[in-house]
Amino acid sequence: MLTICSMALGVMLVVAVLTIYGVVERSFRANTSFGYDVIVGARGGNAQLMLNTVFYLSKPVENIPYEYYLAFCNQETRARELKNSLAYNSHVTRQQLQISANQMGVMVPFGGALSLFTDLAADTVESMEARDMTLDREGNMYTYTDVAVPLALGDYFNEKFRVVGTTPEFFSEIVLDIDTNKKFEFEEGRAFEEFNSQHGFFECVLGATVARESGNRVGDVIYPIHGDPASQSAHIHEQGFTIVGILKPTGTANDRVAFTNLEGHFLMEDHAKPIDEIPIFGQSGPIQPADPRVQLPLITPINFEQPIPVGQTTGVESGLGQSEAVTPQEVRRETAVSSALVRTRLPIEQREVTAILVRSFTGQNELVDDDDLDLLGEGGDDDRILFMDLGMGQAIGSMVNDGQLESSLAWSFYRPDRAQRAAQAISPVYEVTSLFENIISPIRWLLLLLTVMICVVSGISILVGIYNSMTQRRNELAVMRALGAGRTTVMSIMLMESVMLSLSGGILGWIAGHGLNVLVSPFIEGSTGVTMGFFHFAPGPSLSAIFGSASSFLPVGVQSWELSIELLLIPGLILLAVLVGIYPAITAYRADVANSLTK
Amino acid sequence: MLLLEKIKKSYRQPNGELVEILDVPQYEITRGEHVALVGPSGCGKTTLLHVIAGIVRPDSGRVHLDGVEVTRFSESGRDRIRATKLGYIFQTFNLLPAFSALENVMLGMTFASKKRDRQRAQQLLERVGLAHRIHNKPRAMSVGEQQRVAVARALANRPVLLLADEPTANVDLRNQQQIVKLIRDTAQEEGTALLMVTHSVEVSSEFDRVDQLEEINMSAKLAKTQPSVSE
Repeated sequence: MLTICSMALGVMLVVAVLTIYGVVERSFRANTSFGYDVIVGARGGNAQLMLNTVFYLSKPVENIPYEYYLAFCNQETRARELKNSLAYNSHVTRQQLQISANQMGVMVPFGGALSLFTDLAADTVESMEARDMTLDREGNMYTYTDVAVPLALGDYFNEKFRVVGTTPEFFSEIVLDIDTNKKFEFEEGRAFEEFNSQHGFFECVLGATVARESGNRVGDVIYPIHGDPASQSAHIHEQGFTIVGILKPTGTANDRVAFTNLEGHFLMEDHAKPIDEIPIFGQSGPIQPADPRVQLPLITPINFEQPIPVGQTTGVESGLGQSEAVTPQEVRRETAVSSALVRTRLPIEQREVTAILVRSFTGQNELVDDDDLDLLGEGGDDDRILFMDLGMGQAIGSMVNDGQLESSLAWSFYRPDRAQRAAQAISPVYEVTSLFENIISPIRWLLLLLTVMICVVSGISILVGIYNSMTQRRNELAVMRALGAGRTTVMSIMLMESVMLSLSGGILGWIAGHGLNVLVSPFIEGSTGVTMGFFHFAPGPSLSAIFGSASSFLPVGVQSWELSIELLLIPGLILLAVLVGIYPAITAYRADVANSLTK
Repeated sequence: MLLLEKIKKSYRQPNGELVEILDVPQYEITRGEHVALVGPSGCGKTTLLHVIAGIVRPDSGRVHLDGVEVTRFSESGRDRIRATKLGYIFQTFNLLPAFSALENVMLGMTFASKKRDRQRAQQLLERVGLAHRIHNKPRAMSVGEQQRVAVARALANRPVLLLADEPTANVDLRNQQQIVKLIRDTAQEEGTALLMVTHSVEVSSEFDRVDQLEEINMSAKLAKTQPSVSE
C-alpha cells in the first residue's frame, strides 16, 4: 500500500507538472501565433509598441494619423473615409461658393477672410491634386495587405483593464491561431457593429477576464476612464458603451481588454485631435491663432455636417472623483442614449490611431504567382508563416521604416519633416519571440528541468518502493516454489505484481494530479487565460506530426488531433515497472528454494 | 511408493571444504505408511526432505516416487511432480500473509492443475476445524490455527506423500499432540503416506515406525562416530 502511495505521489507530481508546463507552452504559443505579421505604429521603441498592441501593457505610445490606416484600405473604404474629411468638404464648399458667386455675377464679398479661404481652398485642391488625392484608387499599401485593423488605446476600464477602440474586423478577420485558423468566439452576444440603430457607435465587447472580474453582462453600459487611472488627470468619460458581446477565453492578453467601437472611441471627449493642431496642407506648420486664416470657414464649413464630439455636449470636464459626483448614473445613461442618435462621424483629420495590425497577402494576389511561392517552399502552414515573415510583411515593414509610406500617402496633415518620422513597422512574432527568448524561455527551461527531475526522482522512489516490496516477498516466493510453482511462474508473478503496483499507483496519481490541476485552475486561468478542467490533458504532438507524410490517409480533421503526452504514462509506467521488477523477478527466478526456506 | 537409492549429497562450505551431508544407500516408505524420522539437529533431516521433494538435486542416486523416477526430471519436471504428488508442511507454516486461509489452500491447487477446487479447499478447512475462519488472514489466527491451514494446504492436491518438517517445533506439548493427531488422521483419511521429521520423543512415540536418521544416513553415522575437529 505504501508503495502504491509513493507511486501515486510521483505520478501526481509528474502529471501536474506536465499539465502546467503544457499551459505555459500553450500560453506562449497563443501569444506568438499571430493572425497578423506587421504592426504599424508611432515611431519609438519596438518593444513598447509590441507590448502596447499585443499584450496591451506598458505606457501608451504616441498615436499616428488615421491617414496611415487609409494606406492599407481598398478603394471603396478609402474613398468613403476621405469624403469624411474637412479638406474634402471644404473643397466641395469652395466649389459651391464659386458656383454661387458665378451665378450671382458678383465678386465674393467680405474681402479678407473669405478671399483668403477661397485662396486656401484653391491651394488645398492644388495640394490634393499634386499629391494625387484621387478617390478612385486604393491605398498604396493595399496591394500588400490582406487585412488591416486599427487599434486606439488610451482608456481604461475597472481601473486595471485596457479599453481598446477597434473595428468589427478585429473579431471577423484577426486569427488567433494560424495553425488552426481559429478566430475569436463569443461566449455571449456578438461583435459590435460600426453603427447600430439602437446603440449608435457606442457598442463594446468584453474579454473573458474583464467580464468575469467586473461582473458585467451583455446589455450593461460601461464608462471608460480617460487616461491612466493612477494619474490625477484621469476622468471617467461621460459617454458609455453598451456591452453587446463577451468573448470566450483565448489564453491571450485579449481576455483582459474591453473592446470599443473605434467610431465611438473617436467621438468621445478628448479623443478628437483639436482642430488648431491640424497643419495646413502644403504649409510648414500648424495654424496659429494669430494667423488670419484661423478665421477660415474651414473649421465651420457651410453646408457641412459638423461633427460634435460627444464629450462636448455636456461640457463636463472633471477629475476622476469629481466626475462621479457631477455626473450621476442617470445623467450618464441619458447621455449614452442621446449620443446613440449621433450619426456624424469624426472627420479623419481629427482621428488618430495607436497602431495598425496588418496581415500581409499570403499569395492570392496577382502580383505573386506560383513561381514566387515555390521559391519559398512547397506550401503548407509553415511556409505560409515564412512567407508572411519574409514576403509581403517584410515589404510593408521596409516601406514604412524607410519613410516611403509617408511620401506615398495621398496627402499628409503633418509637416514633411515630422511626417517622415511619424510611423514605424515591427514584426510582432520577432518582437515577442525575442522577449520570450530573453525572459520567458529560461523559465520554461527551468520548468522543463524541474519536470524531468521530478520524473526521475519519482521514478527512483517508485523503483525503491517496488524493490523493497519484492525483497520482502522473497520468502513467499520460495514457499510458492516449494508448493510446486515453477521458476517462470514466480518470475511472472513478480513482474505482474510490479506492473499492477505501478498502474494502480499511476491511476491514483493521475486522478490526484488532475484534481490538483482543478484546484489551481482559477489561479492559472487568472494569470494566463488558459482554462484547466479535470480532463484537461497535457498537450503533445499532433497525429500529422507523428506520422509525417503517412498521415495523409487520415481524415483532415483527425490529422490535427493532439495526442496528450500523458498517454506516454501508460507505457512509461509499464516499462518502469518491468525495469524495476525485473531484478527482483530474476532474483526470484534464480533463488535457491532450499536456502530461502531455511532462512 | 517412495524409494531412495544410493543418494549422496555434499555441500561446499565457505572455506571451500566439501562436506558430505547425505549418504543414503536405500530408504523406502510404502503407500499410506506413516513414518517418524528422528535425529539430532544438523544430521541432514531437512536436506533429505528437500531431496525427496525435488527441491534439491542429489549429487548421485535415484529417488522414485509413486513409480516415477524423480531424479531423472529437469527442474521444471520436478516442480510439477512436487505440485501434484507431494504435500509439504513447514516448520514455520509459511502461509502467505496477503491471502485468506481459503486462498492459501487454493494457491497450492493453482500450481498443480490451474483448476482451483474451492469446494475441496473448504472441506479440508472444515476437516481441520477452521470452518468459521476460512476468510481470515494468517495474522488474525493463532499459531495452532495457522498450522491447521498449512495441513489443509499440504493435502489440497491429494498427494501420495506428505512431508512434514518438524511441524510441532513451535508449539507446546498439548498442541503438539493435537497437531500430530490431526496430521495423521487427515493423512490417513486421504490415504496419504506421511514422513514427519521430528526430534521430539513425544511426537515420535505416536508412530508405529520411527526411523533414526543416523541409521539411514551413513554420513550422519560417520559424523557421530568420528568427533569433528572443533570437538
